[in-house]
Amino acid sequence: MKKEQITIDGSQGEGGGQILRTSLSLSMCLKQPIRINNIRAGRKKPGLLRQHLTCVRAAQEICNATVKGDELCSNFIEFTPGEINGGEYRFAIGTAGSTSLVFQTILPALLQAASKSTVSFEGGTHNMQAPSYEFITKSFLKALEKIGPKVDCKLERYGFYPNGGGQWTAEINPIKETKRLKLLDRGDLVARNATTIISKIPLHVSQRELKKVAQKLNWTANELFENEVDSIGPGNLISLKLVYENTVELFDEVAQRGLTAERVAGKAVSSLKRYMNSKAVVGEHLADQLLLPMALNAGGSYITHAVSEHVRTNANVINQFIDDAISITEIDNDTVKIVVNGINN
Amino acid sequence: MNIDMVSSESKKTTVVSILGTNLDRRGKNAKRWDKWRPNIALCQQEDMIVDTLVLLHEEGFKRLAEQVKQDIETVSPETEVLFHQVDFSDPWDFESVYSQLFDFSQSYQFKPDEEDYLIHITTGTHVAQICLYLLTETNFLPGKLFQTSPGNKTNPTVGRYQIIDLDLSCYDQIASRFNQERVSGVDYLKSGIETRNLKFNKMIEQLEKVSLLSKEPMLITGATGAGKTQLVKRIFELKQQRGQITGKFVVVNCATLLGDKAMSALFGHSKGAFTGAAEARKGLLKEADGGLLFLDEIAELGLDEQAMLLRALEEKSYLPLGADKEIESDFQLIAGTNNNMNKIVAEGKFREDLLARINLWSYQLPSLKERIEDFEPNLDFELNKFAKKVGQLVSFNKGARAKYMKFATSSAASWKANFRDLNSSVTRMATLSEGGRISEDIVDDEIVRLKECWNNGLQSVNDPRNIAIKLVGEEGANQLDLFDQYLLMGVSQVCKDSKSMADAGRKLFGVSRLSKKSTNDSHRLKQVLAKFDLSFDELN
Repeated sequence: MKKEQITIDGSQGEGGGQILRTSLSLSMCLKQPIRINNIRAGRKKPGLLRQHLTCVRAAQEICNATVKGDELCSNFIEFTPGEINGGEYRFAIGTAGSTSLVFQTILPALLQAASKSTVSFEGGTHNMQAPSYEFITKSFLKALEKIGPKVDCKLERYGFYPNGGGQWTAEINPIKETKRLKLLDRGDLVARNATTIISKIPLHVSQRELKKVAQKLNWTANELFENEVDSIGPGNLISLKLVYENTVELFDEVAQRGLTAERVAGKAVSSLKRYMNSKAVVGEHLADQLLLPMALNAGGSYITHAVSEHVRTNANVINQFIDDAISITEIDNDTVKIVVNGINN
Repeated sequence: MNIDMVSSESKKTTVVSILGTNLDRRGKNAKRWDKWRPNIALCQQEDMIVDTLVLLHEEGFKRLAEQVKQDIETVSPETEVLFHQVDFSDPWDFESVYSQLFDFSQSYQFKPDEEDYLIHITTGTHVAQICLYLLTETNFLPGKLFQTSPGNKTNPTVGRYQIIDLDLSCYDQIASRFNQERVSGVDYLKSGIETRNLKFNKMIEQLEKVSLLSKEPMLITGATGAGKTQLVKRIFELKQQRGQITGKFVVVNCATLLGDKAMSALFGHSKGAFTGAAEARKGLLKEADGGLLFLDEIAELGLDEQAMLLRALEEKSYLPLGADKEIESDFQLIAGTNNNMNKIVAEGKFREDLLARINLWSYQLPSLKERIEDFEPNLDFELNKFAKKVGQLVSFNKGARAKYMKFATSSAASWKANFRDLNSSVTRMATLSEGGRISEDIVDDEIVRLKECWNNGLQSVNDPRNIAIKLVGEEGANQLDLFDQYLLMGVSQVCKDSKSMADAGRKLFGVSRLSKKSTNDSHRLKQVLAKFDLSFDELN
């Protein structure tokens, strides 16, 4: 039986590319035909950019969808999904567009496929405004494991903005059983470290970053790591990791031109401190990323910071596909409890 | 096949770009990724996908081209890079660059139905940019101009791009200039007007050859307004374009050269040569040295000046007024006239040897009336000319055009001043047009105006009937033989020019009065005038 097409307003809330990606994931998994209007209406360059088009095309390929409006700068798309097919895929993304965002878009669908998938990605692996490869593998996938799925990733080459050229592969096994995810308590801090990733940039940059972290957080030398990697273009980021009994949080900061090493490290430290000083179990970014896999599986609940516009918009989009999937309850000033009703509850 | 999917497929984008031998060459190590490289950056734009990049490069830069191709594969897997080798023997030499790029435009298989073309003008020498501009503007490269620039300090490597859609109306002037270069010499001489008159076309064809091969004088005969000055100007420009002439174009209407001044205006004078010659004057012949001198209405030139001109033509030197040393000037002479020169020679008013010298190549420009089949293309030409001048397009509505054409090609339209009349007529109608449309009402008014203008013209010219009408009224004139009309015209003219009736009589009867016993010239004149019911006082 065919479902009727639903219309999503791409300009709601923060009005960015996330509305498109979340809608595509849900459309694929729920076999729900959709039309998205006003795509990225409020942005400087509205409509579909290359990285968004790549997401649409990747989703289309995986579930053999019929698509209209899949053109650059198009302000709408119509997406009618078909059967999801596991298998081997390769997605190359121009302009160092984030591979992790494409990965997160197609992941829920491939988890539902009948067979195992091997997906290789080419493009950006460490971009600003997108989860880094480190974050995906060390934080997001760790939490996902608690829901059920097992995804194995392997990085062959780093790809920094703006030149990209990174390469990695994800092996996605279809989900068998799912569990409710409950993250209401961090548990004890088990480990912590600061790692810099650096390529084709003088090493003193990374050393200054680590020095700043050590100085600000009083971390010891054996908690500081420097990882010189290979990539096509130059790049650098600092990644602060906190491992708790129940969750792993990462605080990444990608270095930018015109920003001193100390400032980059300082920004990462501020994010970490905000988290540490709060009662949140799940950090701002992970909170956003978990909504979708939880809603499509067994649901659950977690404690996080006061939700950003980004998270709220994401929740609203999900609720449009699945009635009352997500409820957000404010506990106190910077503490919020999110309860997700999964469809496989 | 799913129809929806086909229809949603948009055109592919192809960029044509020259390999930047400086901007794209930033070394082989990773540092090159820190630099803005236009051909890489144009493939990195987040709101544009370059499906094909046609990279024009010289043979010596094959390696660099390969590197650029590889780097593009990294940043833009969607892009296919094609090489096209060019050979700019000198990248700053207009001719070499233009011909290479022109050859490319002719050899590349453009598919404008399937692909959009962007012509990238950021790389290459300025000469190459100009050539790309010209080829795009004239649609030899059927695309839009495309420009990239580096970004800000925090992200210099990707930068920005701009697509420049040539709004032709803004570039009319440049376009028309380039257009003129493209048309062949023949079309050039015809101002690009598609003339249909066989005789005229043949004449122009020969004129083109002669003007490009010969430096000898030419004589162009044609009625007033037939376009002599225009044509000579274009001959000059054609010769100038082909590099055959370096000097100036000097136009002189001999009818405006009067008396002593004619001599000094043409040939110059030394300081103090005559009263009032406070400063030395170079003269127009010297001004035209190495260039082209157009002497219009040559028949009006005085005999002294003719002799001097002949010498200047034959010796390429002459003696300015009051000077004791000859000066040299090497110019090409084109003479214009609306007279029958042979007749003027017969009358002793023009030197036969000078005519022989200047009519080596002699062309008769037909009047507008004589090549009325060219009226319509010339009408369009005038409309365009007006549009360019004013910056607004002017056209007839259908009915108005038909009406105007019908009148213009009928026998009622005399087109007395030829193209000058046509030009004025179009200017009037175009000026009166509302929103650039010439309506039937405007044409009606214009036809009346033209008729009046040509009739008034008759009155001012020596038309005996019109003068008779003026003097004795239309009814009276109807009663007169043409012989009498001429008689009246002549007599009235003499009367006007005379102080008294006796004076006029003496002139009119100057021969017969000698054999008369009594000379009563006034009486004889009075009798003649009485025949027309006129008196001397009425005429004077």
